[in-house]
Amino acid sequence: MTLLARNAEQLFWQARYIERAASLARIIEIHSSHGRANADDLGWAWLVALYSNQDEFSERHTDQTSRNVIQFYVSDVDNPASIRFCVKAARENARALRAIIPMDMWTQLNSFHNRLLALGEGDFDVVGLARTCGVIKVGCYEQLGVAESTLYRDEGERFFELGLMMERADQTSRLLDVKFAQLATGQAGAEGIADTTFWALILRSAAAYQAFRRHEPRGADPGRVARFLLANASQPRSIAYCIDNIQTVLEDLRRIYGLRQARGALERIDILNNGLLTAAEDRELVGRLHAVNDWLQQQLIALTTELGQAFFGLEPPQPAPTAQTQSQTQTQSAS
Amino acid sequence: MTLGTLSAAKLPKQDGPFDGYDPKPFFCELLGAGVQPSEPLTGVWQRLQKLDVPTLLRRAADAERELFNLGITFTVYSDKDAIDRILPFDVIPRIMTAAEWRVVEAGVTQRVRALNKFLWDVYHKRHILNDGTVPASLVLDNRNYRPEMVGFDPAHGTYIHINGTDLVRDGKGVFHVLEDNGRAPSGVSYVVENRHMMQRAFPDLMQGLRVKPVSDYGERLLGKLIEVAPSGVAEPSVVLLSPGVYNSAYFEHIFLAREMGVPLVEGRDLVVENDHVFMRTVAGLAPVDVIYRRINDDFLDPEAFNPDSRLGAAGLMRASKAGRVTLANAVGTGVADDKAVYAYVPRIIEYYLKEKPILPNVETHICGEPEGLAYTLDNIEKLVVKPVGESGGYGIVVGPKASRTEIEAVRKKLLADPANFISQPMIDLSVCPTLTPGGVAPRHVDLRPYAVTGKDTWVLPGGLTRVALKEGSIIVNSSQGGGTKDTWVLEEDAP
Repeated sequence: MTLLARNAEQLFWQARYIERAASLARIIEIHSSHGRANADDLGWAWLVALYSNQDEFSERHTDQTSRNVIQFYVSDVDNPASIRFCVKAARENARALRAIIPMDMWTQLNSFHNRLLALGEGDFDVVGLARTCGVIKVGCYEQLGVAESTLYRDEGERFFELGLMMERADQTSRLLDVKFAQLATGQAGAEGIADTTFWALILRSAAAYQAFRRHEPRGADPGRVARFLLANASQPRSIAYCIDNIQTVLEDLRRIYGLRQARGALERIDILNNGLLTAAEDRELVGRLHAVNDWLQQQLIALTTELGQAFFGLEPPQPAPTAQTQSQTQTQSAS
Repeated sequence: MTLGTLSAAKLPKQDGPFDGYDPKPFFCELLGAGVQPSEPLTGVWQRLQKLDVPTLLRRAADAERELFNLGITFTVYSDKDAIDRILPFDVIPRIMTAAEWRVVEAGVTQRVRALNKFLWDVYHKRHILNDGTVPASLVLDNRNYRPEMVGFDPAHGTYIHINGTDLVRDGKGVFHVLEDNGRAPSGVSYVVENRHMMQRAFPDLMQGLRVKPVSDYGERLLGKLIEVAPSGVAEPSVVLLSPGVYNSAYFEHIFLAREMGVPLVEGRDLVVENDHVFMRTVAGLAPVDVIYRRINDDFLDPEAFNPDSRLGAAGLMRASKAGRVTLANAVGTGVADDKAVYAYVPRIIEYYLKEKPILPNVETHICGEPEGLAYTLDNIEKLVVKPVGESGGYGIVVGPKASRTEIEAVRKKLLADPANFISQPMIDLSVCPTLTPGGVAPRHVDLRPYAVTGKDTWVLPGGLTRVALKEGSIIVNSSQGGGTKDTWVLEEDAP
C-alpha cells in the first residue's frame, strides 16, 4: 500500500503528541495529589526544568508560581508545551489521516478533544486539577487502546509505534534527570510529603510503582529505581523497552516493507543499546545519571533527525524535539 | 390497492406529528398534491405518525451530537479559532418513488451526455458556436473558458466525470433543472453519511421498505476513474487532490479518499517529472495516473494558471496534455455549467443527441440579450434575479420577497452590467415535512443528484436533498441557513 511521506510523519506525530499529553497528565496528576494548596508557591517550578522550557516560560510568565506553571502546562492551548495543545495537535494530525486510520480512532480522539474544549477554570484549580489530569490521561490511554485494537498493521502503524516509543523514551529520560537532580540538590525532602515518598512519586509518574514493588521486594534506593526505569526491558516505560521496540519497528520497515533507508537509524540504535548496557552495569550510575541522560537526549534528537531525513523527506537541520517538525503550509482554499 | 384509490377511511385514525401539517399551496414530497401519501409511502407515513414530536426532537438531537463527534463537519475559520460545525440534518427523509427516480436518472444522464459533447465541440471544431446555436462570445469570452484545452482529447470524450445537477419541483410536481455543477460539485459525502445516520437514529423507520443503496458510491466512483486512466497503465494509481485541512469541504475529501481507498494528497505531495506525475511516499516517488482534484482550475497548476497558487502542483497541466495523467474533472468544464450557458442547454441536448430534453429548464431570461434585459426590467418584481458568476446562493434577489430598496439596487446593477445576470420566474418550490421546534412543518427543498461518468454514466440513486430551514425561505444553500435530509429512492413501487 502507498504511504505518503507526509502521512507517515503525521502518524509519527499523532502518537508522539498523545504520549506526551499522557505523560504530562500523569505526572501532574500524581504530584497534585500531594498537598499543594497554595497557588502562589513555587512547588511546580521543577516542571519547567523537566521539559527545559525556561525560555518559553519566561516569555509568558514572570514567576514560576504554581498557578502560572499549571496554566502553562495544562490549560494554555496556545502554548506548544501544554496538554491542551498536545491533544489539539494530535487531533489535527489525525484529522489529516482520517482516510487512513480507523474511524474509531478518529471518533475517540475527536470526542476527547471536544470534551477538553468544554473544560473551564474550575477544572484546573487546586481541587479539580488531579481529577482533570486523570480524565485526560485516560482519554490518551483510550486512544492508544483503540489504536492497538483497530489500526491496520502496515508501515503506517509502524510509524505510529515509532512516534509513541520515541516520545516515551524522551519522557522517561527527562523524568529521571530532573528527579535525580532534585535528589542531588536536596529538594527531594520537600517532595517526600505526607504519606508518600520521593521514590513512590517518581515510580508512579512513570506508571511503574506496582511493577517495581514486585520486582524489588527489598525496596527503593536510587540505584534500583534508576536501573529499573533505564534498563528493565519488561517495564513498558523504561528506555530499554522503548529502544527495543524502536529497533523491532525499524527492522520491520527494512525487512518487510523494503525501506532500506532504515539502516542509518538502526546504526543509531546500536549505539543507544551499547550505551544503555554500559550505564546499567555502571556501579556509579547514580552519580553519573545526569551525564547519561544528557547523552540519551542527544541520541534521541539525532535519531529523530535521522528518521525525518530517511522517511519524511525533511532537510537537516532539525528543530528541537519539543516542537513539531512538520510544516503546515497550506493556505485557505479559494474554491 | 392501486395508486390513487386510497380513501381516508382505509387509514387508521391517529394523533401524530402530522396532525396539522398542511403543505398547501405547495407540492409536498410526501403527500404529493393530496392530503395523504401515495401507496408506496403510506407505511413510512404511518410509522412517522406513531412517533411524537418530543421523541423525534430527542432522536434528532442525538443524531446531531453524533455527527459532531464523528467529525462530519465543516470548519469555519475566524482570525484565531477554528470552529467545527455540522451541516444541520433533518431526520424526516425525503422519499422518491421508483417511477419518479426513473425520470430524474434518465434526465440527468441525458444532460451530462450532452454537456460532454458540447465541451468536446467547444474545444475542437466549434460547430455549435460557428452556426450560432450558442453565441460564441458566451463561451469564448467566458472567464472559465480554457484555451489550453483546445484540441485536447480526454478519454472517452469525458470532461465532466463528476456532475451535480440541481433540481427543483414546481407546484405540479414536475422536476426542473435549476443549475448544472460540472466543476467540483460537493455534498455527496452528506448523502452517504445522512443515510448511515438515519439507519442508526431511526432503524425502525426503514423496516420493510426496499431503498436503493448509496454506500457503494466510493467503489463506483473509483471504477469510473479507472475507466478514464491513461491507456497502457495496468493498475492505475488514483489519488484525491485536496487543497488541505483548511478547506471547508475537507471532510468530503477525507470521505471520498476513504471510500475509494486511495491516498488523499495535497499539492506538496506531488511532483511532475518529464510530464509524469509522482507522489512522495516513504519509499520514494510513486506514480500517479488519475487525479480526482478538488482544486479549481485557477489554483491547480501554478505553471499553467495562477502562478501564486500553493495548492496545486507545477506541471499537472503539462502531464495531462501529454496524456500521462487524467484530471477529473477535466480543466475547462466551467463553460458548460455557466449560468448563462445554462439557458441554452435544452438546445444543446437537441443539437447533439437529437432528443427532447427529459428534464426541462426553468424558464430563463438572459439579461445580456436585449429582449431578456427588457423583460427582466419590466417584470423584476415577479422574477428571481441571479448573478451568473456567483455560487452558494450569494447575490440572488427574489423579486416577490425583496424590499423596494433591494429591487432598485438590483435594477441599477442590471443596467450597469446586464451580461452578469439572468432572471427566472419564481418557482413554487416543493416542500417536504421537516422537524421544527414547533413540530412537523413544510419546508422548501431541492435535489442534487450526482452523476459519475467514465465510459458511460452512473447516477447515485437519490442525491442530496437540501432544505431551507427558515419558514418560507427558498434558499437552500448551507451558507444561507440550509440543512440536508436523507433521500430515499424506493427499489420498486408495487409490492
